[in-house]
Amino acid sequence: MNVPIQGDLPEQLMMLLTTLILVVQLMMVPQRTLTGNINLFGIQSLLLAGVAATVAYFHQAGHVWFVVALIVGGKVIALPWFLKRLVRRININQDLKPSLNSPTAMLLCGIFTLVGYLVARPFAGKALVINSTFGIAIALMLMGFFLMINRRTAITQVLALLCAENGLFLAAIALTTYGMPLVVELGIFFDLFIAVLVLGILVYRIRETFASIDVERLNQLKG
Amino acid sequence: MLLLAILIVPLVAGAICALTHSTRALEWLNVLALAAVAVLGGFIIVGVLERGSIQALNGFLYADALSALVIGTTAFVSLVCSVYAVGFFRVEREIGRITTTQKRRYYVLTPFFVFAMLMVTLANNLGVMWVAIEGTTLASVLLIAFYNDKTSLEAAWKYIMIGSVGITLALFGTVLTYFAAAGVLGSESTTGLNWSVLLTKADQFNQHAMRLAFVMAALGYGTKAGLAPMHTWKPDAYSEAPLPASALLAASVLNCAVYGILRFYVLTVKCAGPAFPGKLLLFFGAASMVVAVPFVLVQRNFRRLLAYSSIEHAGIMVTAVGFGGRLGLLGAMLHMMFHATTKPLLFFCMGDVQQYFRTPYLRKVRGAIRCMPISATLLVMVTMAVTGVPPFSLFQSEFTILTGGFSTAHILLSMLFIGCVVAIFAGFLQHIVQMVFGTPRTTSPTITRNRWKLGASCGLAVVILAIGLHLPQTLFDLAQRAADVVGGTR
Repeated sequence: MNVPIQGDLPEQLMMLLTTLILVVQLMMVPQRTLTGNINLFGIQSLLLAGVAATVAYFHQAGHVWFVVALIVGGKVIALPWFLKRLVRRININQDLKPSLNSPTAMLLCGIFTLVGYLVARPFAGKALVINSTFGIAIALMLMGFFLMINRRTAITQVLALLCAENGLFLAAIALTTYGMPLVVELGIFFDLFIAVLVLGILVYRIRETFASIDVERLNQLKG
Repeated sequence: MLLLAILIVPLVAGAICALTHSTRALEWLNVLALAAVAVLGGFIIVGVLERGSIQALNGFLYADALSALVIGTTAFVSLVCSVYAVGFFRVEREIGRITTTQKRRYYVLTPFFVFAMLMVTLANNLGVMWVAIEGTTLASVLLIAFYNDKTSLEAAWKYIMIGSVGITLALFGTVLTYFAAAGVLGSESTTGLNWSVLLTKADQFNQHAMRLAFVMAALGYGTKAGLAPMHTWKPDAYSEAPLPASALLAASVLNCAVYGILRFYVLTVKCAGPAFPGKLLLFFGAASMVVAVPFVLVQRNFRRLLAYSSIEHAGIMVTAVGFGGRLGLLGAMLHMMFHATTKPLLFFCMGDVQQYFRTPYLRKVRGAIRCMPISATLLVMVTMAVTGVPPFSLFQSEFTILTGGFSTAHILLSMLFIGCVVAIFAGFLQHIVQMVFGTPRTTSPTITRNRWKLGASCGLAVVILAIGLHLPQTLFDLAQRAADVVGGTR
């Protein structure tokens, strides 16, 4: 079947990049090593930077270049570096058996994508790009939250959270075309770094205290 | 100037604390800085009552009566907690539960924690407000992991994970608000998320997006406030954090989170009418009150008991807003004010009990009145106050809320409200009577008395009694003005 190609160059570029982001997210579902997950997160962030750069270039929005720099410097380089260092220090690289097996998880993620598109529809009107970008953004958030529940090690939970955050960024770009005001973007990045730093400290302490990073062992507090 | 000063004081104090090594200096720095914050908070309240709203830094900072109410409670609670903390940590050190390094960590983190809370209330930009609320989580998570054992790490992990999911949803709500407003405001302007700008044009927003934004914000900030069914982190965090930090979480952060919901509530009401956001808040409020009841009745750990009481009170606040009307909103504001002033004393008394008996379990605590007469007496008094017995002030606010509920024809929910409050009162009374009376099973060495702890508790008890018997006109005006802000009439 011949699918007519819609839209001009920036729209097609956006479509391509957001679709790739979705593909990377799906590849994360069956990935079992921690470093593999971290690499995928880095690639996804790079694609996200691409989306932001597309917006910045074609809309001539100067401050979005700043956001691109933040994403590349922070999410593509700094965070993966920090997380990999953490993995080396705690000396555990294997994820534990997730609650749901890979095929079931994949199927669920497919459903999340559908839900994302359904939720996005009333917002976008006829604009196809916004519809698909926003749909994928919601799907990313849902998948991030799902992976947080499905995964059992502390670090994969952190990564799932970061992916949900990526989805949020995509939503901000899709909905407002320029992203959020700069001061807010800066604040969000600042918080994100502190959060990962704090989470790193906690992961390290959990590893020291429990001799494992299996979060199912965190089960003493009840009632 | 005032707004800038109240932010700079804790920030600078925190920075100095990070460089200071003497614990005595750290204690004084904390107390003095937070005393200064409390004084500045008082000036802000006066200024807002005179002028309606204050702005600073070209409208980056903004305070109206609603902000002033939350600033006032936050500053007051931080001050009494810092005084209590001095005594609390000295005793913890004496009984060998913590090291000097841990003690230092508390004093360094607390000013930053207070700074983040004040920033929440002063940020004009809803995005910056979000950043600040996330900041309170990040500043407090290491306070929850304070004792560094298995259970406190578990509590901290749950806190930051559940909190982060919540806060992500809240950010989504903020993005959606920006989108809803974009058509009206022009999306590129940096003032696009400023409260003072949004409020004037909220009636022209995209209704569909604004409604979804409110759902997300209520879910997100509701997680932070500990509304059911997103409350699960709360009992763990409150029972594992060192007591002054729990008190700060329960009395101040709770208000800041409810404040976040209220800002979105006002916009949504103006954009799409009060029916939809009101119903959602009533759902969360009723769920929180109902969830708290069984856990209070069968509770075995008195630190967790505190958390369920806090869940109940968060539920009461949003239920009151959900009832709406003049009385409902006034009741909600009064409740935020009274709850924040009353709750810390309950924490302090429980902290005294825990330090004396060296256990958080109810069944091991008997005859507190014989071992620690002052704390036990205050404990009975503050239990009455927190569960809403007259003449204490929470009775007045709950009564106002109920009157509001009946007058807006929410009969069933009002009945449910009464039922939950009575059940929780009964549960608390049973637990507290068991703790206070009877014969003590163990006699431990009495090194747990400390003038700082006693001073904080007694001073706070006097304040609670005083505002129960006579509420100063200024504070009532403040609550009334804040209710007007939430009601959109100002």
